[in-house]
Amino acid sequence: MGRIVLIWRLAVRDVRRHLAQALLLVVAIAAASATLTMALALNGVTSQPYAATRTATKGPDVIAYLTSPSQAKTLAGASGVTASSGPFPVVGATIRFGSRTASVFAEGRGTALAAVDQPDVTAGSWIRPDAIVLERTFAGALGVSPGDRVTLNGRSFAVAGTAVTAAQAPYPNLCYFTTNTCSQGVNLGSPVSVGVIWMTTPDATRLMPKASPLRTYALNLRLTSPDDVQTFVAQHTYFSPPSPGGVPNGVPGADPGSQHGPEQLPFNSMSTWQGIAQADALLVQDAQSVLEPGAILLAVLSVASVAVLVGRRLSDYARRVGLLKAVGGTPGIVAATFLVENLALALLGAVLGLVAGRLAAPLLASPGAALVGSAGSPALSVTGVAEVIGLAVVVSLAATLLPAVRAAHSSTIAALNDVARPPKRRGTLIKVSTRLPIPALFGLRLIARRPRRAFLSAANIAVTVTGLVVVLAFHADADGKFASASGMAAGSLSNPVINRDEQMLAVLTVMLVALSVLNAIFTAWATVLDARHPAAVMRALGARGRQVSSGLVTAQVLSALPGAVTGIPLGLGLYAAVVHGGSLPSPLWLVAALIGTLAAMAALTIVPAWIGGRQPATEALQAETA
Amino acid sequence: MTDNEQALLRTRRLSKQYGKDESLVRAVDEVDLAVGRGEAVAIMGPSGCGKSTLLHLLGGLDRPSDGELWLNGRRIDQLSERALAGLRRREVGFVFQAFHLMDELTARENVEIPALLDGRTPRQARRRALELLEQVGLTDRGDHLPAALSGGQRQRVAIARALVNEPLVLLADEPTGNLDSAATLEVLRLFGHLHAAGLTLVIVTHDERVGATADRLISMRDGALIDETRLTGGTRGSLTALFAKEG
Amino acid sequence: MQQEVVLALLAKEPSQGSRLRARLNDALGPLGEAMNAGQIYVTLGRLEKAGLITLDDPGGAADRDRKVYSLTAMGQERVSEWLTEVSWPKPDLAEFHLKLIAAAAAGLADPVSIVDAQRRELLRQLRDVQRAAMDELEGSDAALLLEGIALRLQADLRWLQACEASWITRKRAR
Repeated sequence: MGRIVLIWRLAVRDVRRHLAQALLLVVAIAAASATLTMALALNGVTSQPYAATRTATKGPDVIAYLTSPSQAKTLAGASGVTASSGPFPVVGATIRFGSRTASVFAEGRGTALAAVDQPDVTAGSWIRPDAIVLERTFAGALGVSPGDRVTLNGRSFAVAGTAVTAAQAPYPNLCYFTTNTCSQGVNLGSPVSVGVIWMTTPDATRLMPKASPLRTYALNLRLTSPDDVQTFVAQHTYFSPPSPGGVPNGVPGADPGSQHGPEQLPFNSMSTWQGIAQADALLVQDAQSVLEPGAILLAVLSVASVAVLVGRRLSDYARRVGLLKAVGGTPGIVAATFLVENLALALLGAVLGLVAGRLAAPLLASPGAALVGSAGSPALSVTGVAEVIGLAVVVSLAATLLPAVRAAHSSTIAALNDVARPPKRRGTLIKVSTRLPIPALFGLRLIARRPRRAFLSAANIAVTVTGLVVVLAFHADADGKFASASGMAAGSLSNPVINRDEQMLAVLTVMLVALSVLNAIFTAWATVLDARHPAAVMRALGARGRQVSSGLVTAQVLSALPGAVTGIPLGLGLYAAVVHGGSLPSPLWLVAALIGTLAAMAALTIVPAWIGGRQPATEALQAETA
Repeated sequence: MTDNEQALLRTRRLSKQYGKDESLVRAVDEVDLAVGRGEAVAIMGPSGCGKSTLLHLLGGLDRPSDGELWLNGRRIDQLSERALAGLRRREVGFVFQAFHLMDELTARENVEIPALLDGRTPRQARRRALELLEQVGLTDRGDHLPAALSGGQRQRVAIARALVNEPLVLLADEPTGNLDSAATLEVLRLFGHLHAAGLTLVIVTHDERVGATADRLISMRDGALIDETRLTGGTRGSLTALFAKEG
Repeated sequence: MQQEVVLALLAKEPSQGSRLRARLNDALGPLGEAMNAGQIYVTLGRLEKAGLITLDDPGGAADRDRKVYSLTAMGQERVSEWLTEVSWPKPDLAEFHLKLIAAAAAGLADPVSIVDAQRRELLRQLRDVQRAAMDELEGSDAALLLEGIALRLQADLRWLQACEASWITRKRAR
């Protein structure tokens, strides 16, 4: 009992004494945990959601787009079909809300529940005369909520509510551009994202301009063997040569004059549930392609931070270890005091990260969330929570276990008299530095004193620059990718996928930069503290304060330089590995990132260096710890 | 001479070596030592003679290269690290020149550490710590941090800590090395009380005043014991003789 | 000049007064120069009167420098006694210093053991002084005096340690 009290007391007091370091440890692990949580939550979104929506909305296995209602009877009665709903008229229209305009497919429905594909209302209520329901993500992109009024083809309608369906890929319908396995039945002639809305059948029919008659009907089918859906599609469609417009499509009604039965539909007239599921996957895969490298980077950076933090504290620890052993602490207890503290901080960080990630995940998953069926956020399963906590535990254990065990088994008297590892002599560096101006001389010799810290500093910078490069690459890519996707015309809607990806990117960038800044500050402080004695000696021998400060800055920048330079190819490599293909950011931006990071590093060192320089030299000389 | 069989602490050809071949250093060279129960022994010698190393070996803080070490009839030179820890906790109390208190704990909490390590409840440990602080005369300083205590006071806290689990022997390595004259007297007075109460003491020192308080003074040079002086039994002259020559 | 020192210097072999003086100057360095030249002859005269030394050739050279002195049996005894005495002369360390030199020169005793014996005695004295000091109230006048005595004893002990180290080295060198 007493031992537990002692271990706890020592841990608490030590944290209080080194509060800044403890906070940094917590932040580092929280950042990594948050990213992992988001990644896991998002993963959860892709694996199950479509299935949930399908069940909730009685989703169809096949959606056939017909040119006339008579085709419905044949298809609905075909072998292998167990249930059907429709045919529902589908009309193309333009919707306007405020300054925003978009194209929509309006599906005419009755108020009665359909046997197949009954959209699940997520806000407001189902349709009624003069009131429409919008697909949830589309509503979000348009900025519309139940109760608002919109105009369709010039006529005003109320918004009754929003809903989700398994029969369409949610806005922005990334499905469009994958030609073979996923297609939309109706084509408006140019690739734009379309929103899906539902309204009463009379309202829908009235939407058609008098000149053009209604030409499209949607028929939802359920099959006995949903997995065999491709066979069904093959049986009931035929391939039509491309129309003069160049876009391979099935424009119902266009008669290419081929040999096919009247009950067969042109290819591309049928959507399958598998195709739609893939479209969902695309939406979230996209997010993953941003999240994955981000998560890896943050994890690496936190491990590096933890290593720096723990490395610094090891020398503090040696004396405490010796003391505890001298008064009779067993190796187990000694290791325990070391681990408990770090583990507690790591767990705290993990919990904070879990909460933050949980809160942030829905923001990032919204288009995909439409498929979950309910208004719920991406769920984090128990295993997911365990994984995040496990990561935090493993990271802190890995960094602290080996040194703790080693310290616990070291000779007591050696640990007690530990004068924090005296600096090693590097003859060549010292010789080289004599030719350089004073600041560079001093800086170089500082690096030579503590090569391990210089290396860690370089590693941290490398990770930061890698992150920045990935961010730049993604931005360069994103514009190209999504410009074609949504046809960014003036007055068009925000593309929620791009929004989300950019949001995610922004969050990750902020986290990455924040962690790097904290890390850099801490490394700068540690360097200045460590250099107090040699700096005081230099000043006592006549070096000016400014020379000494410049030396410190030089040391930091010199050790950061190799890290920054390696960060560029690392970042490009990481991006290429995760996102296949993709364009490169312009070299100008890369160089700017490099210089910017080094400048930031220098700036972060100047403040502690200046503060250290104001302490009288005698004080620093007396504190004669190497 | 102390009867070897009844000696509390006994060594036989105890040795500690560092390095090998040309750089071989015999820090402790085949030392035979016996300390009886209730005896106060001082070990003196020039710096680098190995007296601190010898004391570390006696206290289980370091392992001998060769030889035997017996404490209270039990052989202790081959114990596992874990068993040695138990030894340091219960049978041996160690006092260092640099005090080695934990800076972030109060005096009382520092004294409690060995008791807590030994598994006592916090309340028991606290009570015992307060007892000992009283014994060393620091009752009113129990809640002060080491930084707020003088050198002599810090060493007394360290002594209290060493005694909290009622060890068989107190080992002190240059206990007055960092103290001024007045603080040295404080500590010597305390050692005197403890010795009078029956505690066995082994003190390593280079201060003759500290050495002179022992029952037996052993000189050490180059890792070996070379001389032994029995100090109990008074002087050949008298104190007045010392006064007579003054002035 | 302690009589016993001169006696000890004659222990190895009979000597002329001038040689004795030369050896004293050697051993004492600058302290010896302050010594009056005639002083040693006064001491020699006293010693002769006490029967501890004799003149080799009573009727011989009139020049006092050339008179040769040697130890009597009583003189020898006195020297042996003196070598083992451990009373501590204050504040003059010269006597002890010369004791060691004389003992080494005459081969009468090992200087190192003389030093050790003296150390032990001083340690015992120091112990008594410490005890007395600890019994006194802090800050009393007696405590202050006792502290002074203790510190002086400590200083003397340090010097004795230096003597021991020095004489051991000399022994090794031989």
